[in-house]
This record gives sequence, C-alpha cells and structure tokens, in this order.
Amino acid sequence: MKWNNIILVFSVLIGLPLLFWAVGDFPRRTILKEVLSVLTLIAFTMMIGQFYLTRNKRKMFKVKSIKKLIKLHKIIGYVFIGIILLHPFFIVFPRYFESGVEPMEAFTTLITTYNSSGVVLGLIAYLLILIIGITSIFRNKLPMKYTSWRLLHGVLSIIFIIVASCHAIDLGRHTDVPMSIFIIILSGSGVILLLKTYFSKPQNNRIKP
Amino acid sequence: MSINSIDGCIGCGTCVKTCPTDVLRLDPKSGKAVIKYPADCQICHLCRMYCPVDAISISPEKSVPVIVSWG
Amino acid sequence: MNNSQENKNISRRHFLGIAGGAVGMAAIASIGFPSNWAANKIEIDINNIEQQKNETDVLVIGGGIAGLFAAIKAYDAGSKVMMVSKGRLGSSGQTPFAKGIFAYDKNNSTYSIDEFVEAVSASAIGTNNKAYTRQVAEHSLARVNELKEWGFFDSVLCNKPFRKPIDKRGITVMERIVITNLIKENGKIAGAAGFSLDEQKLHFFEAKSVILCTGAGGFKPNGFPICDLTHDGTIMAYNIGAKVTGKEWNDGHPGQAKNAADCFDGWHGMFTKKPNITNVGIRHDLGVDLNYQAYILGNPLKMGRPGSEEPGSKVKGGPYVPEEFRRREGLPEGDKKPPKRKRPDNDGPPPGMAGDLVGGSSAGMAIHKSEGLVPINDKCESNIPGLYAAGDALGSYMAGAIYTQIGSSLAGSAVQGAIAAEAAAEYCKDIKLQAIPNSTINRIQEEMLAPLKREAGYSPAWVTQTLQGIMIPNFVLYIKREKMLKAALTYIEELRDHHMPMLRASDLHELRLAHETENMIISAEMKLKASIMRKESRCSHYRLDYPEPDNENWQAWINIFKGDNGEMKLEKQKFDSWPV
Repeated sequence: MKWNNIILVFSVLIGLPLLFWAVGDFPRRTILKEVLSVLTLIAFTMMIGQFYLTRNKRKMFKVKSIKKLIKLHKIIGYVFIGIILLHPFFIVFPRYFESGVEPMEAFTTLITTYNSSGVVLGLIAYLLILIIGITSIFRNKLPMKYTSWRLLHGVLSIIFIIVASCHAIDLGRHTDVPMSIFIIILSGSGVILLLKTYFSKPQNNRIKP
Repeated sequence: MSINSIDGCIGCGTCVKTCPTDVLRLDPKSGKAVIKYPADCQICHLCRMYCPVDAISISPEKSVPVIVSWG
Repeated sequence: MNNSQENKNISRRHFLGIAGGAVGMAAIASIGFPSNWAANKIEIDINNIEQQKNETDVLVIGGGIAGLFAAIKAYDAGSKVMMVSKGRLGSSGQTPFAKGIFAYDKNNSTYSIDEFVEAVSASAIGTNNKAYTRQVAEHSLARVNELKEWGFFDSVLCNKPFRKPIDKRGITVMERIVITNLIKENGKIAGAAGFSLDEQKLHFFEAKSVILCTGAGGFKPNGFPICDLTHDGTIMAYNIGAKVTGKEWNDGHPGQAKNAADCFDGWHGMFTKKPNITNVGIRHDLGVDLNYQAYILGNPLKMGRPGSEEPGSKVKGGPYVPEEFRRREGLPEGDKKPPKRKRPDNDGPPPGMAGDLVGGSSAGMAIHKSEGLVPINDKCESNIPGLYAAGDALGSYMAGAIYTQIGSSLAGSAVQGAIAAEAAAEYCKDIKLQAIPNSTINRIQEEMLAPLKREAGYSPAWVTQTLQGIMIPNFVLYIKREKMLKAALTYIEELRDHHMPMLRASDLHELRLAHETENMIISAEMKLKASIMRKESRCSHYRLDYPEPDNENWQAWINIFKGDNGEMKLEKQKFDSWPV
C-alpha cells in the first residue's frame, strides 16, 4: 500500500475542513460544541472520502492487496457513519449543560421543521446513510449477488452524498463559501469518478494516479 | 450590534415568535431568520435560549445612539 | 454613511442648543437605532389589508403569568376564552425574567396574614392597598402549586409550562397581534382591535369582557428587559375612560455602566435560572435613594449592592426610610431563615451587581403593581363595566409604592389573573355580546393604520429617543422639582401635540413602534403631571422641593382620567378607600 497517497488523501479530508473551520469567521462557542461541530465536519468529509477509497481506486494507491484497502474503507465507513448518525443529537446535546430549551424539545422542533428544505434533505440523507450502513453490515445475508450489492451501494452513496452536501451547504453553521466550494469539489469529483467506472466497462487502466 | 450572527438556522421560526421586541424575521427568500430590526434588540437572549439548534450569537454592545434634532 | 455622520454632528449641537438645561442629558440617556431618517418608504399595501372578526366571552390581552391565569381560570369558570398577545405566551413582558415567586404558607411562616399585611403597610408608608396585599398572601400558595404541576419550576423558559394548561383546555392563543384599541359601546366594554405583525390583517375582537394583562411599561430603557412594554393596556383603557393611577412612582433599578444596554449580562446569569419560591421577608427596597446619592455625589457610584449600606450614611437628606427598615446588620428579617444575600426576584437588583453603575435602567416603570388601572373593588375591576386588569396592568398597590416583598410581583400577577378571571366570567353570565358597529370599525382602522399612510412625518425611533432624552435624566424622572417637571412637560406636550399626530411607519414592525411611542408619550405626560401634583416625598417619589412625607395632605393616591373634552384630569383618592 502506498502510504504517501493515503496520507495525502487524509490530510485533505481532515486538514482542509479543519483549516476552513479555523480561519472562517464563525462565532467561537464552548469547547464541547466546537468539538462536536468539528467531529461532524470531519465525519462528513470522510464520508465523501469513501468515494476515493474503493477497489476501483486501487491503482491510485498502488495497492497490492485489495483486502487492506477494503478493510480501511469498512473501518472508516462504520466509524464515521456512526458519528453522522449521531449528528442530529450532537446539535441538541450541549443543551443538557446550559440553560435554554430542553434538548428533547429542541430535537422535536429540529426533526419536524418540514417547511425547511434543508431539514428535509437532512432527514432523507439520514435515512440513506442508515440504509447504507445496514446493507453493508448485513451484506452477506442479503439475497443479492455481490455485483448488484456493489451497484446498490454505489448508487445509494451517490444519492446520499448529493443530498447530504446540499443539506450541509444549506444549513451548515460552518459552511461558508470556502467550505462549500471544498465540499462541492470533493463530492463532485468523487461522484464523477465513481460514475466513470460504471460507464467505462470493461475496466482498464484509464484511471491514473 | 446586539444579535451578532445567526449560523446554522433551520428556519423553524421559533426565535421570531420568541423575541419580545420583534427584532428577528424569517427571510421570505431563504426561509431563514434574519436580524431585521437590530436597533430594537434589548439583549435579553431569549431567542438564543429558545433556538433549537443554538444558531444565535449575541454580543453585549449596542450601537451608540445619535441624537438628532429632527428625524 | 456620510450623511448620517453629518447629521450627527450638526444635529447634536443643534439639539443641545435647543434643549439647553432641561434636556442636556439627552445624549447620555438613550438607546441606539438606525440612521435612516429618510422618507417613509411604505412597504405595506395599505389598500389590501384583510379584516378578521373574532368572538369570545372573555378576551385576555397579554401572555405573561397574569394572562395565563386569567385565561385558565376564566375558562374553568365556564367562559369562552381567547388570549391575544403581541409577543408569545410566556416569552414577552417581564414574566420570562422573573425568577422568584412568593408563596405564603401559613403552616410554614412566623407571620400571620394580618401581621404580613401590617408589615407591608409599615414599609410602604401606607401606600399599599391592604385588600390586595392580603389577597397575595391568601392565594399565592395555591397558584404556586398549580405552577408546580405544569413544570414551571423545572424549566428556565416559560413557554412550555404555560402551554400545558392552555393546550389542555384548548384555549385559543393568538400571538404577535398588537392590540391598539379597546372598544366601548353603550358604556360597557365591547371588545378590542389590533393588527398582526406577520400578515396584512387587522383583528377585531367582540368580547363580553376584557382582562388587561398587558404588564407594566417604560421608556424602552437600557438594561432592563421591558423594551416591549410601553403601558399599552393602561393607555388604551385611559382612552376609553378608565382611571389610571401610580404614575408618580419610580422603580429605581440601576444598570451597569459597561454595556448598559445588555440586560442579560447586567443581570449576571439570572435569566438562565429556574424559578424558585420565596418566603415572607418584608423589605423597603429600591426607591430612589441610589438616584439621590448619584444626584448629590455624582457618578461613579461604586457599591456592593444597592441598599447594602445605609444610604444616609454618606449623603444628607434624601428619601425618607421608615426607622425599622433602615439597614443594619441582621435586617431585614426573613422567615426563620437568616437574611438572604442573594436576590432571586426581579424585585431587587441583580445578584452580585458590582462595579460602576448608571441610573435609569428601568426608566419609565413604576414599582410593580403600583401603576395601572384603578380598581374599584378587590376583584380587579375597573370603572368601565366589563373591563378588568391584572398584574402590572392593574394599579392594585399590592406592595405599595416601594418594594416590600421579594417574589411578590410574579405571585401577585398570578393571583390577580385568577381573581380577575373569576370576576370577568361571572360578569359575562348576565350580559350579551355587543356587536361592534361598522362605523367604529372603520374609525379604528383609519386611526390604527394612519402612520402607514403618512409619506412625511417623524420616525417612531426618533420620537422615542427624543422622549428618552427628555424623561430619563436623573434630575427629571427621579430627583424631582416643580420647575424642572414643568419644563419637561412642555417638551412632552410638544411631542404629544405635534409629533404624535405625525408618527410614520413603513412596515408592520414600525407601525407597532408608532403605537408604542404614542403610549409612551401619554405615559410621560401622566408621570410628569402626577409628579407635579404630589407635593411631598414618599417611597419611590422624591421631590427636592418637598423632601418630607406630608401625612396631612397626601395620605392619598393620584388617579388620572380623561375629562369630557379629552383633557387629562387628576384627582386624589384617599388611601384605604375605593373610588367613589
């Protein structure tokens, strides 16, 4: 495995959002709130990063065994899907430690504000990532061939990343212009790369490092 | 400024209802809360405390008044 | 903007030039606002305004704690109830910020009710109405227990606990509707009218009875969360012939010098606390002794807590404090407990208020419950049949003209809300709903929307700021003498006669400000006239030219009402009596 490239990918996925978070003109809040925000941000960029850590990209990383790359993809997937699933709760959780609306009340308002397209997109994205997570855990138990599962996984991921990006850009506290452009470029090229593999059968060596 | 900024608003409108002095309104285009009448803010923080996503930040200063002889 | 910068320079000089002595302090005592002194760009389609008619037995105006109990108890007494508020239930007025509520528990108190009433009367130098003082002691525990049930004490914010009993009864609550007019037909209350802040819609309410729970008011001062309270209820009622009292008293809360407009920090986190219950503890708090000290010694006034040392120790003269309430170690007496150092209620200054202070953070507001409609009996009834008031909208003199009991403001509003409701529900039983005639509707609509139709005029923000400049200085509002009061009155009369009829508004928010400004102007006139009339000093009313209490002539409250020709009239009403 060519670690240099992997490290490069990670530094983009983690470093850039951190940089935008650090230099952006956002109100600085309590450490807890900032940690939760940053965690969510990174979880999201890591999800986009999954588009780059697939077996189709093995050439890019000069991977000898696919297994290692897939293992990495799985670990990152489960960890950060977990964080993404907690994202709505992260928003209201700090209210336990300060005065104001009660966390449960805030949560109810949060998930019932259907007049906001951003909230609706977020709810859809949440369902999608939940389905992606479940279909991955129980892949072997699903009555489908690996290739059709892979297609399902890819298609769900593409829809998720588009919906979630729109949600993040619309509602995100930290999605200012640089952060938005970063998300659009990162997820856009991820989606294009994946689509390319679908439409460029048989697979050859066109994808270059 | 009194209410400084609104970041991460989901457009639920709670703050609009909650503000005693009617400082905040939902922007008809974006559907999100905007600080429409900042001069009337009494810096009581009710909007911030009621906001479900903690989107509102408030600073203690208020713009210095100007006295004019006609308006 | 270049222009406004220019304006600022020229006009400040110009203004001060005109203002001279009386309002020279203007620049100091005001609040910030926009610099668009330009033409009125009307954003409302004035010819396309809807009307909605609503019918009910009891109309409760105001969504604070008085309104809550008024609505619930009227419903429980069998009336059809509707609540209307210019804010949101439990999130406007002073209710959201009051964190202490008094409960008198006879099983748990060293005071009997008689002793309690007597102690309050001693501190209030007779200014309290004993019937209402007694009432708060008698009913407070029951109200507090109901609040407990609804989760009031478990929540920093009131909206949810207040919604609970309201939703359970299915009471209609109409929020963000600014009521501008009370309607009287055939000598009796017939309803009210107002406009929505959110849509181009006027609301007319036909009601058998109206309970004003509209709270107190002030001059939109800095540092006190009352910028939405402008004595709306009092002035609306005055306009249809109700008697008003208590205008000469002052709430003497200071503010912090640093970021004086910042209520939240000025109260040092109190807004983020859950409410608690307070016991009997009679005090003599927050008249204008601090204002007097500042007047004599100048600023800065540095002290730990206002009243924590005897004001007279540094300054000679000043407001009279009854002997037993002059501060010494061990006083005031609490109920069994040693004197509390923390101040849980908005009756007292914020806890831990330290550092440099400035005056007038609650300018324009009197002592809670000393100011408002004159009750004709102990049922919160006004002199207009069918019109009731509760809480700070009622001049019940529950505590008199000085703060006497911590937490009694909130408790008193709850108690009076319930009392008024039961009386109103009873009144409704024998009476028919009166239809509001179209001519009245048309007249009110014309009046209500007038500021939106004026292409030229004066912005409410500017008129308000000017009024603040006239009224808020220490030497006008707090440390009074005849010549100065008369000078200020001349200014206020100018605002009333020339500026009030020319207030303009470009949208519904500004329309609200225009009406609030009108109410503040009338209230300022009342305050000055009552202050001129009361030629003595007592409790929170202090006259440099009459510094002592005058028990011979002034064992009396001042009532204000509109004469037959629309002029403002004042009369005395003896302490411990009901209006004749």
